[in-house]
Amino acid sequence: MLKFITAVLTSLTTGSIYALMSTALVLVWRSTRVINFAQAGQAVFTTYIGYEVTIRSGSYWIGVVAAIISGALIGAVIDRFFMRPIFKRIKSGPIVMIAPVVATLGLLGIIQAIIGFIWGLTYQSIPAPVSTDGFQVFGSTIAFSPFNLMVLISVTISMLLLTLLFQKTNIGLALRASAYSPEIAKLSGIKVDAIRTLGWALAGAAGGLAGMLFVPSSYLYPNAMDVLLVFGFIAAVIGGLDSLFGAVAGAMILGFAINFATSYISSKLVFPMAFIILILVLLIKPGGIFSSRKGRKD
Amino acid sequence: MIRNNRMKRYSIVSAVVAAGAMVLSTLPAQAADPGVTATEIKLGVSTPLTGSAGLAYGKVPGAMKAYFDFINANGGVNGRKIKLVVRDDKYLPTLAATQTTNLVLKDNVFALVGALGTATHSKAYTAASLASKNVPDLFVNTGFSGFGNTTKYPTTFTVLPSYAMEAKIMSKFITENFKGQAVALIAQDDEFGVDGVNGFAAGKLTLANKTLYPTSSITDARAKALLTGLSAIPGKPVLVLFGTTDVTALILKAAESLDLVGKFTWIAGSVGGDANTLLALGVKPATITGVLAASFFPDAKDSSDEYVSQFMKINEKYNKGVSFDNTVLQGMNSAMLTVQALRAAGKNLTRTGLIEAVQNKGSKFASAGLVPLNYSATSHIGYNGYWFGQLNAKGELKPFGGTLAIFTTDSAAGAIEASTYTRPALPKNGIPTNS
Amino acid sequence: MLNLTSNKKRLLLFILLGWVLLLVGDRVGELRQYQGSFVAMYSLAIASIILLTGYSGQLSLGHSALMAVGAYAGALSINNAHLHPVIALIIATLTAGVFGLILGVAVARLTGPYLAGTTLALAVSLPTLANQFPILGGEQGVVFDVGTPPVRFGEGFSQYKWFFWISSLAALIMIWMISNLLNSRYGRTFRAIRDNQISAALAGINTGRVKVIAFAVSSGVAGLAGGLLVMLISGVSPSAFPLSLSFSLLTGAVVTGVYNLKGVMLGGLVLVAIPEIADSLTTRIGGSEGFTATLPGFLVSALLILAVLFAPNGPGHLIKRKKR
Repeated sequence: MLKFITAVLTSLTTGSIYALMSTALVLVWRSTRVINFAQAGQAVFTTYIGYEVTIRSGSYWIGVVAAIISGALIGAVIDRFFMRPIFKRIKSGPIVMIAPVVATLGLLGIIQAIIGFIWGLTYQSIPAPVSTDGFQVFGSTIAFSPFNLMVLISVTISMLLLTLLFQKTNIGLALRASAYSPEIAKLSGIKVDAIRTLGWALAGAAGGLAGMLFVPSSYLYPNAMDVLLVFGFIAAVIGGLDSLFGAVAGAMILGFAINFATSYISSKLVFPMAFIILILVLLIKPGGIFSSRKGRKD
Repeated sequence: MIRNNRMKRYSIVSAVVAAGAMVLSTLPAQAADPGVTATEIKLGVSTPLTGSAGLAYGKVPGAMKAYFDFINANGGVNGRKIKLVVRDDKYLPTLAATQTTNLVLKDNVFALVGALGTATHSKAYTAASLASKNVPDLFVNTGFSGFGNTTKYPTTFTVLPSYAMEAKIMSKFITENFKGQAVALIAQDDEFGVDGVNGFAAGKLTLANKTLYPTSSITDARAKALLTGLSAIPGKPVLVLFGTTDVTALILKAAESLDLVGKFTWIAGSVGGDANTLLALGVKPATITGVLAASFFPDAKDSSDEYVSQFMKINEKYNKGVSFDNTVLQGMNSAMLTVQALRAAGKNLTRTGLIEAVQNKGSKFASAGLVPLNYSATSHIGYNGYWFGQLNAKGELKPFGGTLAIFTTDSAAGAIEASTYTRPALPKNGIPTNS
Repeated sequence: MLNLTSNKKRLLLFILLGWVLLLVGDRVGELRQYQGSFVAMYSLAIASIILLTGYSGQLSLGHSALMAVGAYAGALSINNAHLHPVIALIIATLTAGVFGLILGVAVARLTGPYLAGTTLALAVSLPTLANQFPILGGEQGVVFDVGTPPVRFGEGFSQYKWFFWISSLAALIMIWMISNLLNSRYGRTFRAIRDNQISAALAGINTGRVKVIAFAVSSGVAGLAGGLLVMLISGVSPSAFPLSLSFSLLTGAVVTGVYNLKGVMLGGLVLVAIPEIADSLTTRIGGSEGFTATLPGFLVSALLILAVLFAPNGPGHLIKRKKR
């Protein structure tokens, strides 16, 4: 029984971090039709900034704010000064599909190299702001600590805010419109370019938050979020790349599947499980579970 | 059609460019043994400077270089200064193969020292043709027992006791001191863990639970799940951790979170057991207290030990900014062994001569190790034993039960014996004068 | 008539290339021979990406896994079944090809990011399977020993020259075959699907089947490259096929010009030359450990970005544009 409870609790924690990454990827995808591999690098970079701020200010929360703000700024800068020129130059041919993805790969490499150069290659730690000792429930300690709770709450609040933004505000409407039909959106007077940059900024902010929430239970080094990127991407694809809800759902499904498989079957199944879940979902629904159209031709 | 021609021309041009680049950068053939001049000896090492392996062993090249700098400042070896070329292989076999080949063919090193990693070095050894080129491969930084096989690795000399030896001696220690308690193992799923599993079997210890995890797949969540599962074992089980320091730290921290620290008797394997690093990674001192670990060196914090205090001084002067710990101790020790080997090979330095020097005189070299070196004409195996200690809150390893008890064994089915070895005294000021 | 001449021209070109490589191999030192072998191997791997992505429009991030399949098949053939190295390489190609066929069927309905995501998941999970089955040797892997050069080549024939000959020959033959394929009816079919899948279907092309064929062939080529890789590092293990390998191949393909098989050797050269250049730079400039360890990655990424920005269709097109 304890094993089951532990598996559920740890899946919640894992899934919520994946959810932030997959949300960031979906945000960029919906606004730009690009899979942003640099997300892992951006998130780590902003987390290093958060780390520096935390050390100097002594407060983790100020560090989180710094990470979110710098994440948004960096995301916006990347879109405005990096992705936009690329889209301008590549207008036709199948390279349209590949070039931006490859460009983000290049960007990832550069960011990680810069991080390694500035901060060195050793592992850093960010201490958690609240206790990491498990709660005491009915006399025994469970695998859920105040810190885990804090992560879950933070992610939930972020998701709610983002959903509110998308569904209830004009800007959100503009974001959705520009993603589906840029031409029509432009005709309606929406500044498509600016909206797209906003999408990247939001994604960058989400990534920064993800990093700050993830690192206290792990370590900070240039490649710290590579695995998270892979799982975040898989989660986003499972969810359908279409909606924020899909991103979160996909992340939870993935988190639960992996944690349960490794707890009950074998700890060697971490990566194979991700692949199995993904291929199962895509065989049944090529566009992901929550996508509105079957087999989107993107 | 025109397009085709242009493309064709382009492809010919690119081929010619590539060919020309290769021809223009041809190196002249090297005569005799490279890497040795009248004033310099060039040594090389391919090792991970990044990643979790880098965390465990990243300080070793710097420590070796510091000792070599110290010796160079004190006359060098027979008048020659030692230069160490360090190449990062990121713990990837392909990079290790190319970097080791670069060391041999591009940097023209005389010998390799301190190569790291089994998956990496086993490939690099063959890819770089170390056997056919007779390149000495001294004091490899890995506990994989396979490197002691002189048919496969004729120029390789191990230094660290193998993981199998560690597991065997650990079996004896556990059986004698924790009778009746179940034993569980959490190990990295590579040669490290597998060698360990074999060692436990050779030591006739039955494991109640055995978890092998893919490298870098342990997260906080997974550690908690593992520990929860293991906490179902009745009594106070012995939990052996055969992983790198970052993973050991994650598991210990997960135990803190689940309040399971007191549930187990913890044993940290040599690779992941460096107390300083564990504390630096956020493990609480209270958790570290009482953790058992095996070592074949004196504790790096034991400044009453003459070797440790001398190495500390060298570290202070030649390795500024790096804190002295077990990996630094290990690196400097290997460097000191290397210097003695070079001296023993004589003024007329050849690769064959170096190999023979280690074979014939290596077992008598001065070193910080508290267990014997076993080099001979038929054995390329270095240290072959361990003593067991317990960590205190300051991260110092003190002998278990108060008295130092050393055991030696082999990597196969040989017996585990108590050792009465006493190591040679430190050469004056840490500068070897052997020949 | 025109077709035949073009094919013959291509054959002659490849034979000429082979001859040039033979002569060059004789003149350079062991280090360059070894590096040349890597260039050949990477060129072949990049060709597999160009075939799949540039010509049939499917983006795969999982070619490192496909190389791994070929590599393990080859290694097991030599190590466990004691077959001749040439047969081992053929087995590597075929095994990877069959694997690619199955995979291609599974992912045939996927497009764009969905395909990319699946191949990404494959790339990270497939190598870990080596730890599941003892015969695959776990982390330490399986030995791939192609043996010393035949005695009749004489004493001075180094191991590295032997590697160079084998890699170059394998790469040349395979790329020549791909080249023929791409200039045939199949090639035009691939391009049709790449450019507009709907139109192609309307024109009567069985898009699903063609895509699967492209996937299978591409996988087979990648498998051969994988076999060559492990020959060069004398053994296979899961850590020889990290995700970064897939990314490197993609980089090489983009730098070469993802549409264009012709400059594929340039891509291979780039992948080998960049670490070399970075190495020479750091030896000259020196610098902290952080600098030397991160410089090669930085250069490769910077090159990739520059290529995407300024020569997205490959340097060939760039030269053409300048000439106008």
